[in-house]
Amino acid sequence: MGQFLQHLVNTLILGGTYALLGIGLTLIFGIMRVVNFTHGELYAFGAYAVFALSMLLGANFFLALVLALLGGMALGALIEIVLLRPMRGADIDTTMLVMIGAWIIMQNLEMLTWGGVAKAVVTPFPEVPLVIGSVSVSYLRVFVLVMALVLIAATYFLINRTKLGKAMRATFQDADTAALMGVSINRIYTATFAIGSGLAAAAGALLGPVFLAFPTMGDLAALKSFAIVILGGLGSITGATIGGFILAFVEELGAGYVSSGYRDAMGFVIIILVLMFRPTGLFARAERIG
Amino acid sequence: MGTGRVAFITMLELHNLVCRYGKIAAVKGISLAVKRGQLVALIGANGAGKTTTLKSISGLLPPAEGQILFEGRDVTRGTARDMLSLGIAHAPEGRRVFPQMTVEENLEMGAYLRRDGRAIAQDMERVFEQFPRLAERRAQVAGTLSGGEQQMLAIGRALMSRPKLLLFDEPSLGLAPNIVERTFAIIQEIRTSGTTILMVEQNAYAALEMCDYAYLLESGSLALEGSGQQLLSNPHVRTAYLGG
Repeated sequence: MGQFLQHLVNTLILGGTYALLGIGLTLIFGIMRVVNFTHGELYAFGAYAVFALSMLLGANFFLALVLALLGGMALGALIEIVLLRPMRGADIDTTMLVMIGAWIIMQNLEMLTWGGVAKAVVTPFPEVPLVIGSVSVSYLRVFVLVMALVLIAATYFLINRTKLGKAMRATFQDADTAALMGVSINRIYTATFAIGSGLAAAAGALLGPVFLAFPTMGDLAALKSFAIVILGGLGSITGATIGGFILAFVEELGAGYVSSGYRDAMGFVIIILVLMFRPTGLFARAERIG
Repeated sequence: MGTGRVAFITMLELHNLVCRYGKIAAVKGISLAVKRGQLVALIGANGAGKTTTLKSISGLLPPAEGQILFEGRDVTRGTARDMLSLGIAHAPEGRRVFPQMTVEENLEMGAYLRRDGRAIAQDMERVFEQFPRLAERRAQVAGTLSGGEQQMLAIGRALMSRPKLLLFDEPSLGLAPNIVERTFAIIQEIRTSGTTILMVEQNAYAALEMCDYAYLLESGSLALEGSGQQLLSNPHVRTAYLGG
């Protein structure tokens, strides 16, 4: 029982950041129909940004987190304007190839800049874990969960309660008609890509200090993001949120009760099962966003 | 027809408009004019280029050649956003309400470019007065409305931008006969209240009956123009579009 509780706590902490990754990717795919292979590199960018700012430049850890999020958004906006805007109207395969190219370039730049040795981030949180009964959890991990929940709530608010969010939903449902309402589709696309990228960078910035930052860390994050989005249904934010927690839960139980070597395989097991039995995702009613 | 209105002046002019989808020209050099306060009909068969013409006026499809003038200004290269802010609203074919947004959110989208929150709320109440069915369903998502209700919503949404010129694309398409009648009555009310209208309609008889002036498009070119009555009595129009 104690072990199961521990797994549940770990699920929550991992699930929060997975949900951020999934929401970011599903927003971009839902609104722009772009399969974003750079998503994992934005995650790596977040982790390295925190490392560079707090470890090399001596910035406050919390400030570094905020800057990593903002930097991720700026990088996302740049990718959208430079790579995707000229490709508007191109078919999805062409765009996909361009994004795969961007992914490879970004990963190699990380390798070139930081080298292959993993980097650790030291945080201001105490090393001694918080122990409640049979469950122990580090303060850093609790902080990660709280921040992830705050960002998820902020994203919900943005999509459902702001004018930008309304325009994003309208564009998702019918881009031509949204344009007739005066929505600048280009701006919505840039904002969407920036927000999705910012969420990935935030996930990396939060998990980087928990684990380590290394150049290929984005690969697994990207694959897991795809698993979450497939699980939750393309374009569904609620689906991505729940999907993130489900993936974390399955990974935890798989690692705990089957074999820890299979932890990362669980995502693929999920993709295969969902595609076999419920290809529109677990939570997709019709295509929707919000 | 309207009450003591000022002399008609030209609101919209197309000069030799050519529109292409890839290499195929859907509109092959048409010229037409819409005067302030008029209801102008654009009639023709499927694929004649009517919808394409409207799309280029509203900035969705930039014309390949030719010129679009709105209130004397050259707006040929305008985006959909530019056209809307000049006062051209487009109620597209098939109504195209945002299916997962509520009735209220759909109307708010119609006022997307406006910044006058209080006046927007007043206009929304006016739409609800005009269409009580929408008022009852204001918090319901638009996808669950009937075809007729969606049509009312699409019209209300177009009005929310306070347009000077309203483009209607096939407003009667796919609606029950009593709703079609109601829709045409509403369009005439909108014209009476001072909004200029350019309407594309396959129901040639109804369109010609209610319009001030009409253009007949045939495979991308203008075949005929004249008052509604003139076209109604034209032998070619009678045999080809009014069933003899």
